[in-house]
Amino acid sequence: MRRRFSRGQLRFIAPGRVRFLLVALAVFAASVLYAQYQRTPPDFGESYSFPTPTHPEPDSAWIHSLDILMLVAGLGLAAWLVLKRRSRNGVMMLSIGALAYFGFYRKGCICPIGAIQNVTLCLADSSYLISIGVIAFFFLPLVAALLFGRVFCSGVCPLGALQDMVLLWPKKVPQKLDRALRWLPYVYLALAVMFAGWGLHMKLGSWEIRAARRFLICEWDPFIGLFRLSGPFYMLAIGAGLILLGMFFGRPYCRWLCPYGGILSLLSRFSWKNVQITPDKELDCGLCAEACPYGAIRELRADRATCLSCARCYDSCPRHHELRKEALVQVKPS
Amino acid sequence: MSEKSTRRKFIDRSARIAGFVGIGATAGVLARRVSGDHVYQVDPFKCTACDKCRTSCVLSFSAVKAVNDFEKCGYCMLCPAYFDVTSFPDEKGIPSGKVCPQDALKRRVVGKEDPDDPNNNYYEYVIDEERCDGCGKCVKACKPPAGNGSLRLEIRYARCVECNECAIKVACPDQAIIRVKTPGMAPTESPDETKVL
Repeated sequence: MRRRFSRGQLRFIAPGRVRFLLVALAVFAASVLYAQYQRTPPDFGESYSFPTPTHPEPDSAWIHSLDILMLVAGLGLAAWLVLKRRSRNGVMMLSIGALAYFGFYRKGCICPIGAIQNVTLCLADSSYLISIGVIAFFFLPLVAALLFGRVFCSGVCPLGALQDMVLLWPKKVPQKLDRALRWLPYVYLALAVMFAGWGLHMKLGSWEIRAARRFLICEWDPFIGLFRLSGPFYMLAIGAGLILLGMFFGRPYCRWLCPYGGILSLLSRFSWKNVQITPDKELDCGLCAEACPYGAIRELRADRATCLSCARCYDSCPRHHELRKEALVQVKPS
Repeated sequence: MSEKSTRRKFIDRSARIAGFVGIGATAGVLARRVSGDHVYQVDPFKCTACDKCRTSCVLSFSAVKAVNDFEKCGYCMLCPAYFDVTSFPDEKGIPSGKVCPQDALKRRVVGKEDPDDPNNNYYEYVIDEERCDGCGKCVKACKPPAGNGSLRLEIRYARCVECNECAIKVACPDQAIIRVKTPGMAPTESPDETKVL
């Protein structure tokens, strides 16, 4: 056990000069010890050259410009394929391309869904800087939604593409349940905005909840773990669960969770152009409503808010195929 | 065209215009605070090697690694970042334990080796990035006065996926994740001169 000395005792043990000498000795000992560790690099002479630590460079600016370019091209192409070309195959090819580029190549980290939080934080905190890519990725799909509906969801979003691809045995969801679940994205959006911008400070009587700012959407992203082929267990488990669910029910994340989808759904209600199932010569057969895995066709009309512009309805339409054939005959007269 | 449909169209158009104006205005506000071509990096002068870099990175194997600045390194035999100096020493006086839990800090003798007295040798310390998980235990141990402060944590861009928002930055208790201009080197001199690494 160590004994502690008071000042009086210390004076008794080591008075006057001796105390000064003791202090000097202690300083000297400390400096000797310090010098032992604090060594300058030794002189190795010619025989040794200092290795230089490597510094892998970050991606150059052009790849960020390429991302924005790909987004614009993807949105434009999706709008053209859905509204003009009316091609399910085309939309599918585009979404596979988006899954490969934005999902697996760029590892899903440049996403408008997450950008909600950056935008919120930038508006809430004046010291926060935002990158031009995030601004582009947040606003361009919104503009596209006002013009052409949710073309981002159909052709560009890698999360949507993945879920679209695993939809093997589409089942209908009861309309009431579907409607109720469609409120979830707004709850998620509100939570995400609150946590990204301000964190949580609540006081309920003696209970006090405090949580720092965090990016909930990124922490609970279902498929980012798959894109990166690594991630915490809960993330991968949620992703696997949603994929399993998505085999039977079309795009569960997009319809009932995605907060950005919530915003897009609000804006696409007023879109300038949108999916119109049959041009003018309808049959009223209802095959399109049968084919729509998202329950977005009501009274044989595509509901602008919920339509994910996947173009499946065209594919199921006998009239559409007939018209296409006629058009082909007109284009190529034999 | 029926009256209802005209009204619907009017509402649509008004809402659309309002939407465009809203998007434009918000984008305009945000565009004033564009960060440019900056990337995230660890500021070694603020970093306290708290272990958050290991646990908070979105990658399960963090993109933050320890880096040894050889110009500053003392090449010590008894490297406090290599050996756990509190562990029991063997007969030659070399501590039995190591600091790095991943055994990612490797060393090799520089020049001629004196097998009898290890104190006569100089050692080069290199980090094996395949093993390093960025916990920063060695960085902490290398801080002065025990060490020269040659080890520091650095975001390795070969691994970093460059998220919109760095998850480590959100978690960092010391605000040590800063934005630096490309090529993304960590600051080598403290902006605050009273602070010494």
